[in-house]
Amino acid sequence: MVTGRWAEGAGAVRVVIAEDSVLLREGLIRLLADGGIETVAAAGDGPGLVDAVREHEPDLAVVDVRMPPSHTDEGLKAALAARSIRPGLPVLVLSQYVEERYATELIGRGAAAVGYLLKERVADVGEFLDAVRRVAAGGTVIDPEVVEQLLSRRRRGHPLDALTSRESEVLGLMAQGRSNNAVAARLNVTEGAVEKHISSIFGKLGLDPAPDDHRRVLAVLAYLGRV
Amino acid sequence: MTAEAAAPGRAPLRLRVPFGPRGPLGLLVDPMTWRTAPYLILASVTGFVWFVVLAVTVPVSLVLFGVWVGLPLLVLTMLLWRAGAMLERRLLRLALGVAIPDPYRPRPISGVMSQLGWLFRDPATWKDLGYLLLLFPLGMVEAGVTVVLWICSAGLLGQPILVLLGVPTSITERLVIDTIPESLPWVLVGALLTIVTLYVVRAMGWLHGLLAVALLGAGDEERVTHLRASRARGVDAAEAERRRIERDLHDGAQQRLLAVVLDLGRARSKFDSDPEEARELLTQAHAGTKAAITELRDLARGIYPAILTDRGLDAALSALAARAPVRVEVTVEITTRPPAAVESIAYFIVAEALTNMAKHSAATQASVRVAREDERVVVEVRDDGVGGALARPGGGLAGLADRAATIDGALIIRSPEGGPTLIRAELPYEW
Repeated sequence: MVTGRWAEGAGAVRVVIAEDSVLLREGLIRLLADGGIETVAAAGDGPGLVDAVREHEPDLAVVDVRMPPSHTDEGLKAALAARSIRPGLPVLVLSQYVEERYATELIGRGAAAVGYLLKERVADVGEFLDAVRRVAAGGTVIDPEVVEQLLSRRRRGHPLDALTSRESEVLGLMAQGRSNNAVAARLNVTEGAVEKHISSIFGKLGLDPAPDDHRRVLAVLAYLGRV
Repeated sequence: MTAEAAAPGRAPLRLRVPFGPRGPLGLLVDPMTWRTAPYLILASVTGFVWFVVLAVTVPVSLVLFGVWVGLPLLVLTMLLWRAGAMLERRLLRLALGVAIPDPYRPRPISGVMSQLGWLFRDPATWKDLGYLLLLFPLGMVEAGVTVVLWICSAGLLGQPILVLLGVPTSITERLVIDTIPESLPWVLVGALLTIVTLYVVRAMGWLHGLLAVALLGAGDEERVTHLRASRARGVDAAEAERRRIERDLHDGAQQRLLAVVLDLGRARSKFDSDPEEARELLTQAHAGTKAAITELRDLARGIYPAILTDRGLDAALSALAARAPVRVEVTVEITTRPPAAVESIAYFIVAEALTNMAKHSAATQASVRVAREDERVVVEVRDDGVGGALARPGGGLAGLADRAATIDGALIIRSPEGGPTLIRAELPYEW
């Protein structure tokens, strides 16, 4: 199990949930409990989340994008508000729809410890719990579909066209927030090969190669979101 | 109700006589002819009354304009003649079968000046005045021609009877009819004159109708403005409907299915470690799936009921009535199916009316009637509840009124506080 900055000192990851559907809220609490993650508070709307974050100082906030009263992007705004109260608070945003604009808004506020996943990812319990822990530990998790949207949003003559198909695959996995290790495992290649691909990608896109895993992810996402 | 609707399946008499509905016999038995003639005679009376009333009130208001009473008096006079024009439209619809919707612009909610502007600047106000003033000379001519023609026709047709009664008729000094054989050719002339009279009366009615449409109806510009506004509201209503559907899907079936998939995911991960809980989670997921199916079915039916496409209004409305919490009697008296757009709007008007009834009216019974009246489908929903139904902007009924307006239909709500409620929609049969 990975431990992050906010988890240090506490035994288990402590989570605040904001989700307006009671059915899903209860399901999420049990799912997290199965993985040994404690839910310290559950809110049904945006202001409730901000209050809960202020009161419980959790290690992570799991937030539904669409909540009352506006039923639009209430959750996203609340998540950003909570982060301004507690800078660096890890936030995992769940959404019924994939909207790369939401993702870029989240990342655009600068930062690590951000996750953006489709709600249906809860179906794969193991992967979901892994994502929760990665975000709580300060990592970045971006839904594969968002990455796909970002990658597909390019015009003719775009630098991304210069990438080989394997390099595109590596870039996609990297943009989801996976480490070199995880990318290598997923593609059945060595870590060294992955590193070679990455430096080639960075060269083609004109990005500064950064040593830090997640800063590198952010650079990629920022690059993709900008285009 | 007209005679046509009273005997369904049997064509009206005027269609079954020799020479067809436009032949002399057809006109003779057409109820329209017998409504037109009295109307034309009445027109001279109403025309005279309005002429006198307006000839007094308008100059008096104008003379008193310097004093403060002039303006209020003029406003009252204008409202009076508009009321007269509205009455005349109803009368024209009854007598000549000419449907002229009130063409007035919507009244502003507040502000004395804007209300005055509404009254003074609306061309319909001045066209109403023109019609009412024209009604006097026109009515005189129409009534005169009608009365003279009918009296002559009747007099000639009745010659033998007059001879038998011993009342000889002098056409000229030398031409006197005083024997039965002499009178018979004149009966023939009378019959011919009757035919002429029928055509002349109908022609005058038709021309009067044309004039009324031109003066009492909306001009092209107003009609376009009206249509554009109703179309815009119709589009808005459709947009609102799509948002509602998305919301229902998002909050309903989608959340349920997410909860199901979450349960299934947890069940899978517990299969070996905790089979008992896995079994429980499966039961829960099973129930959740069934609930999601029900929700999806209700939602799909709310978007468009399949039965309406397959079997038409009768079946669809019966199904709707069966789901209502109180007894709803359904009568559908149309034989041929109207176009899908008309059926759909009719269906959703009934659906909304019954939903409102169930929610707010405390009614114990209701009835739904769909019938054909001339070229229109009329949908009526009545209940014996507490009334007070309103078409609030943005509400369900207002949305349906707008949808009806996009196909030139109209929705009328009569629901006084204390009830009962009548919701009536008139939709075109052809679209």
